Amino acid sequence: MFNIKQITPWKTALFILMLLPMLLGLGYGLLYSFGVIGLLNTGFTTEHWSDVLLNFSFWKSLLFSFSIGLISVGISLVMALWMVVNWHLDLRKGKLSTLIYLPLAFPATVVGFFIFQSFSKAGFWSRFLYQIGIISDIEDFPSVVNDAYGIGIILASSFIITPFLSLILKGIFENEHVTKFQHIAKNLGASQRQVLVKITLPILLQKAKTSLLLFLIFVIGSYEIPLLLGRQNPKMITVAIVDKAQRFNLNDIPQAYAMAILYVLFLLFLFFGFQRLAKLKTKAYA
Amino acid sequence: MRKHIGQSIVGFIILFPLVFLLILSFGKQWFYPHILPNIWQTSQWESLFSPSFQLTKSLGLSLLLSISVGLVSTITAFYFSKKIAYSYSKTTWLSLAYVPYLLSPIIFAVLIHFYFLKIGLSGSLFGVIIAQFLICFPFGIIICSTFWTSQIQSLENLSSTLGGSTTQTLKRVLLPLAKSTLLLCFFQCFLISWFEYGLTHFIGAGKVKTLTVSVFAYVNEANPFLAALAGFLLILPSVLLLLVNKRLIFKTSKKLTDYE
Repeated sequence: MFNIKQITPWKTALFILMLLPMLLGLGYGLLYSFGVIGLLNTGFTTEHWSDVLLNFSFWKSLLFSFSIGLISVGISLVMALWMVVNWHLDLRKGKLSTLIYLPLAFPATVVGFFIFQSFSKAGFWSRFLYQIGIISDIEDFPSVVNDAYGIGIILASSFIITPFLSLILKGIFENEHVTKFQHIAKNLGASQRQVLVKITLPILLQKAKTSLLLFLIFVIGSYEIPLLLGRQNPKMITVAIVDKAQRFNLNDIPQAYAMAILYVLFLLFLFFGFQRLAKLKTKAYA
Repeated sequence: MRKHIGQSIVGFIILFPLVFLLILSFGKQWFYPHILPNIWQTSQWESLFSPSFQLTKSLGLSLLLSISVGLVSTITAFYFSKKIAYSYSKTTWLSLAYVPYLLSPIIFAVLIHFYFLKIGLSGSLFGVIIAQFLICFPFGIIICSTFWTSQIQSLENLSSTLGGSTTQTLKRVLLPLAKSTLLLCFFQCFLISWFEYGLTHFIGAGKVKTLTVSVFAYVNEANPFLAALAGFLLILPSVLLLLVNKRLIFKTSKKLTDYE
């Protein structure tokens, strides 16, 4: 039960610093999207919400962002798992152990710019392929940047996430003493494939699931990379919201707030829903 | 052999962007199909030593902004993480600390921009510092909360039992022990602020020209050479901080292993 005596000054201060700005923002957005406040709004209306909910482009943006997130995290997971399983000793000592930290220092803005300059039609790789005679014209280079499938966004996101994920998986590999379990399984007659599928992967994936979810949310909510490497249609959800909020047409602003609130609800549902599911599963196994 | 080839490819993928940006930052003209710029220049790098050069100003501004955000976030996060760690509602507060991260900084900026406009903080450096603090502070709490273990609590109690005041316990026991955590928290908050574009651009209304904002401005002006220079400047301090960070993490984990 809620007890007023439990509210101490530090809790009030923490609430003000950590949660109040977000709640105020959501409250303002909610009132604006329902037409209660705002420059051109005339009174309570559900028109803006029905416009957003019945608008195909909003759902397309949300689904596009979610798919890009899933693919990017999937690619990164495969690469990181491969590196950790095969090179876990090299990731602890030697050149690779230092090199793997370097991409953590690359801001999304710079990675987006780099991918744009190297993979666009006039970029480095197009020039390289032209010089070695694989393509004969600038148009022969495939559209990887500002393309309909978000390949550029996936490349950039995977470049950022893979080193983070490798370090997390490397940590789990060492802390959970996976090598010991592998030895025991081998001594009991398990094949190389069985050790990988039944011992290594389940341990690593079980421990890394929350991190994977956070990376998925990170990609869905990324802004700089889709701004540089995406296109007008389909748009990543963050770009779509900011575009509506910053347009000269003031009538679009309530829709931007409605979209932002739906996006926040989607992510909260994803995060806390996943945590609840994980708790229920743990309880079921116990 | 296969392993060496594989690791060389990974090494190339990691180092290529750095080399590419460095080369591009010395370019003046880069016509298709030249692989490297066909005209080179050093004037952009030389201009960095001039205080009136826009990128030099952006570098100074970014450093001021990120150091301020890093310091304020670390101090407040350290204080509140202790309160959270010793409270009964620890799990709830720590779960809530993830919420600003989940929101995505740019969406957070869209939602709170109205209040910044009302208070007159939109378009100002102070406004951007506050907005970035609101994102970094919860993240700092997550980092600092790992410090407050039962062992630390026992040491704190021991210090009090032996007659140490709260200030003495903080100065002589807690701060020396928390040095690594505090540095880690500062570096992480510094990097979040250093890397931030969307929120800075939105709350700063384009007037607070940090390095990330400059990269976008140069891309929009179709000037890849200055954008590459700004990008390279963005990477340099973060590489240095990460190498320190790595040693720090390594040292902390070694200490813990030795203790065990």
